[in-house]
Amino acid sequence: METTNKTPRRAKRGVGEPFIWVTAVGLSLGMLMVVGLLALILVNGTAVFWPDRVEQVNIRAESPFELRGKKVFAGRLVKKQDRILQDIEAREAAERAGVWPQEFQYFVGNKDAYGLSFFYIDGAAIAAREQPRDIAQLERLEYGDAFGYFVGLRLKDGATIPAGDPNFLPQLRALNREVNERREELSRIEKGQIGRINHQLQRLALRQKEAGNDAAALAPIEAERQELQTRYETLAKTAGELRARQSENQLVYRLPAGDERTLPLGQLIDFRFPNQLGFFERTSVFLHGIWKFLSEEPREANTEGGVFPAIFGTFVMTLLMSIAVTPFGILAAIYLREYAKQGVFVRSVRIAVNNLAGVPSIVFGVFGLGFFVYFVGGTIDSLFYSASLPTPTFGTGGILWASLTLALMTVPVVIVATEEALSSISRGMREASLACGASKWQTMQRIVLPAAVPGILTGLILAMARGAGEVAPLMLVGVVKLAPNLPLDMTFPFFHLERKFMHLGFHIYDLGFQSPDSEAAKPMVFATTALLIGLVIVLNLGAILLRERLRRKYALGAF
Amino acid sequence: MRSRFSALELSRLDMPATLPPPGPELSEERFEASRATLFVDGFMTHFIKVGGVLVIAAVLGIFVFILFQILPLFQGAKVKPVQTVQLPEQQYSVMGVDEWAELPFLVSAEGKMRFIDLQQEGKITEIDLATVTKAAPAAPSPAAAEPETPADSAAPDAAPAPGAAAPPPSPPARAALFSAISYNARKQELALGSPDGRVAIVAVNYTTAFAEDGSRTVNQTLEAGEWLPLGRPGAPITGIDVGDASDAKLIGVIQQVGDGAEVHAVALTRKRTLLGGGALTAGQSHDLTPHLTGKPVQIHVSSSANAIVIVTADGEVEYFFKSGEQFELRQVFKPFGDLADPTVASIDFLFGDVSLVATSISGQNRVFSLYRQAGSNVRTFGQTKEFEPLPGAATFYTSSLRNKGFLTGTAEVASLRYSTTETVRWQEKMPFTIARAVISGKYDRILFLDKENRLHLYSLADPHPETSWRALFGKIWYEGYSHPEYEWQSTGGTDDFEPKFSLVPLIIGTLKGTLYAMVFAVPIALTAALYASQFLHSRFRAVVKPIMEIMASLPSVVLGFLAALWLAPLIETRVPSVILMVVAIPLTAFGFGYLWSGLPFGARRLIPAGYEFIVFLPIVVLVTWVCWHLGPAFEKIAFVVTDPATGARVADFRQWWPQATGADFQQRNSLVVGFVMGFAVIPIIFTIAEDALSNVPLSLRSASLALGATRWQTARSVILPTASAGIFSALMIGLGRAVGETMIVVMATGNTPIMDLNIFSGMRTLSANIAVELPEAPVNSTFYRTLFLGAMLLFLATFLVNTIAEVMRQRLREKYKTV
Repeated sequence: METTNKTPRRAKRGVGEPFIWVTAVGLSLGMLMVVGLLALILVNGTAVFWPDRVEQVNIRAESPFELRGKKVFAGRLVKKQDRILQDIEAREAAERAGVWPQEFQYFVGNKDAYGLSFFYIDGAAIAAREQPRDIAQLERLEYGDAFGYFVGLRLKDGATIPAGDPNFLPQLRALNREVNERREELSRIEKGQIGRINHQLQRLALRQKEAGNDAAALAPIEAERQELQTRYETLAKTAGELRARQSENQLVYRLPAGDERTLPLGQLIDFRFPNQLGFFERTSVFLHGIWKFLSEEPREANTEGGVFPAIFGTFVMTLLMSIAVTPFGILAAIYLREYAKQGVFVRSVRIAVNNLAGVPSIVFGVFGLGFFVYFVGGTIDSLFYSASLPTPTFGTGGILWASLTLALMTVPVVIVATEEALSSISRGMREASLACGASKWQTMQRIVLPAAVPGILTGLILAMARGAGEVAPLMLVGVVKLAPNLPLDMTFPFFHLERKFMHLGFHIYDLGFQSPDSEAAKPMVFATTALLIGLVIVLNLGAILLRERLRRKYALGAF
Repeated sequence: MRSRFSALELSRLDMPATLPPPGPELSEERFEASRATLFVDGFMTHFIKVGGVLVIAAVLGIFVFILFQILPLFQGAKVKPVQTVQLPEQQYSVMGVDEWAELPFLVSAEGKMRFIDLQQEGKITEIDLATVTKAAPAAPSPAAAEPETPADSAAPDAAPAPGAAAPPPSPPARAALFSAISYNARKQELALGSPDGRVAIVAVNYTTAFAEDGSRTVNQTLEAGEWLPLGRPGAPITGIDVGDASDAKLIGVIQQVGDGAEVHAVALTRKRTLLGGGALTAGQSHDLTPHLTGKPVQIHVSSSANAIVIVTADGEVEYFFKSGEQFELRQVFKPFGDLADPTVASIDFLFGDVSLVATSISGQNRVFSLYRQAGSNVRTFGQTKEFEPLPGAATFYTSSLRNKGFLTGTAEVASLRYSTTETVRWQEKMPFTIARAVISGKYDRILFLDKENRLHLYSLADPHPETSWRALFGKIWYEGYSHPEYEWQSTGGTDDFEPKFSLVPLIIGTLKGTLYAMVFAVPIALTAALYASQFLHSRFRAVVKPIMEIMASLPSVVLGFLAALWLAPLIETRVPSVILMVVAIPLTAFGFGYLWSGLPFGARRLIPAGYEFIVFLPIVVLVTWVCWHLGPAFEKIAFVVTDPATGARVADFRQWWPQATGADFQQRNSLVVGFVMGFAVIPIIFTIAEDALSNVPLSLRSASLALGATRWQTARSVILPTASAGIFSALMIGLGRAVGETMIVVMATGNTPIMDLNIFSGMRTLSANIAVELPEAPVNSTFYRTLFLGAMLLFLATFLVNTIAEVMRQRLREKYKTV
């Protein structure tokens, strides 16, 4: 480069400047990938709950498209795209005409009537699309949503209220509320009370097995069993009556193509007129939908309803994992950094521990299955639960083993973070403490550990984020697609460590890959994904922020 | 120093000290720690030491545990003597045993069948076969179909009841009840051939009764068929074998006719009646003699009752196949044609009836399997294995009923071999002269009969015969294959399926996934790291690094889901667009940079140094969008093929690729996996490489810039070489992550264990294999342990890679310190 005193009008190009731009594009790509991915998930994950308009589509009479023999259907437009014309002639024809053929994908609901949920149609086959004001969207217990027009209500006393009647909607709303309350009542009885009785009956059966032929021991068991049986029958009768009342009133509605269908009101969860909703009503439906997603149990092979058990399972598992990982991780780190004699051995141990963080998670899963489930669990079973063998209690995957496996997987993360935090505490602070006459442990306890807490927390949060998002090892040690019971409930002993559990990450895998209709499950997968990503990112951001604060703190206190 | 202090203070505390009143004056005690403090300190010291060591040991114990799980895979068989029983002096022709090896039987030359109860010190139950078998009646009688009542094992001399109830009108002469006998261990049937040219089949039914306390007793019953005339009437039978495929039996016999021998075969069919099995009725008899090329000495019928193998005196093997009602001579071969003495000492089927195990007079041991040889559409025998030779001609042969193991040997030496892996599992010189041997049905006992009529029971522990170094990592010539293969196929449809446990396809799959992930991730991650550390304006750093770290934290199940359900269908039809993007984005960057840096200085100031990447955000989006829409046009120019189905000319990359390269195109392919795995790998490489680059001492950078180097020259010639070790370690750690990635691969590929590097096909990696198969593997089976071995390989690979990386990084740190 030549050196000149005055700036030339056209400066010579700096050597290698274009390459800098090439490196810049790497960073841009990286940024775009992250942001794009998050945006994709966020948009798709929340769009599920937004009540879109419903269109009624008339198909051209001459086109081959039809839905169950009818040329009219209603549905929510999911996708509209240009068709890819692989055939060269067709493509050239389209180019000449200047009209590119399009295809539409509609969510048509009414799975009971149509046998499918999504319908593809060529743009050219559509004669007219309109948004009728009075089309209703029915959220049902089975078969997903239905789209149709109300015809009337058929009440239990034989009376019918036609849809035109001013009483129709208030009556429908009242009845809908009533069945929803009754459904909750039913679930309380069936899942809560009957479930508890079943649990007790199982325990009795085990005691009976243990008692063997001892008549004296068997008598009270039998008496208790009789009593439980009576209680069960009373409850079952109540439940039966409630169930019968669920279907005494019926809603009649008409599909867009004209056929009338009846729906017992017990099957109706909610209904709305999507084309009549204003912005605020739609927002309210949207928020309500999110709430239901977070708080309800899944229905219809997990493709409908909520993900509450998965959230709960993830939460409990992460909690158990943290309880297991924190003391051991910190203990090992304190030993390595403060108590062990520093030398080649400790250094190589440190490298080994460090590297364990990079060992694939599936390896930990394999270890968890072989060691915790089959070895430890099998031993526990043969010692304490031999009565129920060969049905395993602890000898099969469960939340305890899953938590321990993940704890083992994340312990290196905690060790490394804690060690870093310990080593970043200035020598001055320790020496000051020791000089004041504090013992080594007092220095640790009062000075070093408190100062290291943010660093340790960072490690712990990172470990939780890793644990919450990990699926591969869980598949081997106890996660299931649908757990009948939560790992924590009101039956003794409240905490059921041996139970299998649901997990958000596995929910995604299962919905996307094991469900019979992956297209129908996609919205739910996106919603679950958004939730999981949200959880993991909040945890990670927390850790990052904590670390930044920590850095600043020590940057100031460096002198 | 502290400890001396505390000892001093402890001795003081023991004294009934009168504490000085608290006052302003200083006293010695003021500096002393309380006993409690010291106790806690000591306790915590020990607690932390012990606890810390235990935690670290537990964490590293993973390695040890997995190691102990896989060690049995590499152990040979263990054979130990258990029991010896002396039998009555007699010539024994056949030996058989039940599944538990508790009640073996021997058939003497006179037709006495002896069951030896090994649980009761060798108590013998004797049954005379002559009383059991019946002469062929003129018309089938219903009584013949009735199963025999169990022989009372408590009364050793009790003759079976049915024989007594219906005394045979004219059993063949007592002294020579049979002249040939064979035992089909799989179906537990004895086939007897009489000197007058008749055959009978006696089924040995073992029944197992379990008592309350779990102990079991094994009992035997015999079910005998009739003496049926076969082949040439009256000619003595010298060799017999029977194949039984439940609904049809095939009996092959060698009959002596004058000086010569004839071979006849007959198919028997059992008519099912309402009351159980009906009598066997003989079908058409086939005379195979005209096809023979030599004097037949041995005959073997396959269990599937459709093939007969005949060995001639001059060492030729003739393979007859029964198709429909006809026999055809498929093949004549000489197993030991290359040897000086081609005589076959023994030859017999292996479990599954696809392979023949042959030994020569000189002890050569070879396996011949059925497969389609080049240019032929029928399966014929070809040599697939050659074992270590025996010390002499084989005198006995018995095959396992559970796997591809077989026991053979000479009079002195017994050798247990495993056909699939071509290994000798166990070989030993026995302390007696072996006459016969048999392996129990559970492959856990071996019985030897020696020449002194002693029966030796040996226990056999060989839980994992299917594996060996060669089976796991080498090419194996599996049954039915026309050449040796690397193959992973853990389960099959039938009992006699050979599990194929080659880890090589999985290792190749792992490397393939890693390769494509790295090809995509490395350029982006390294350029981004270089830019972020050297050129990026410092105000963006606080934003850029956390964003990249968030990318690292994305759960892989999310990435896998997006790859499979969103990305794979999206780019399936848009591969040309992707190709355009890969080319266009870097070119645009370079071109834009070239043009921009050539602009007048004033204009250049519009984008300050360190802001370049912001400019690129919209440009990259724009280029991507343009490429996406240009893709179909590019496809129409470059990837036009004729659709073989319709004959129309189509522009379709999915069809063009297979036609142009001969390789597959699948929707869930390595391209998708590589791209999505990039999300997992890029942030790791980026973070570590960025650290290494930005930790290069500032003095080096300043010196270079002060000497007049441009910022690119500084980065390329000063920073990059200095940090190269750190960058290498970043690549290693990224590699480790890609190797072990599980969920993305499980979800975004077809999980087929194939061996190619085609970018548009899937693969199965070690980790995905474990995730898919381990839940179904029975505990402690070979399959289970092989999956553990896969986990061990992953563990070792990542551990090794990470250790190298870590050591490199530490070196680098030392280097920076000295600068």
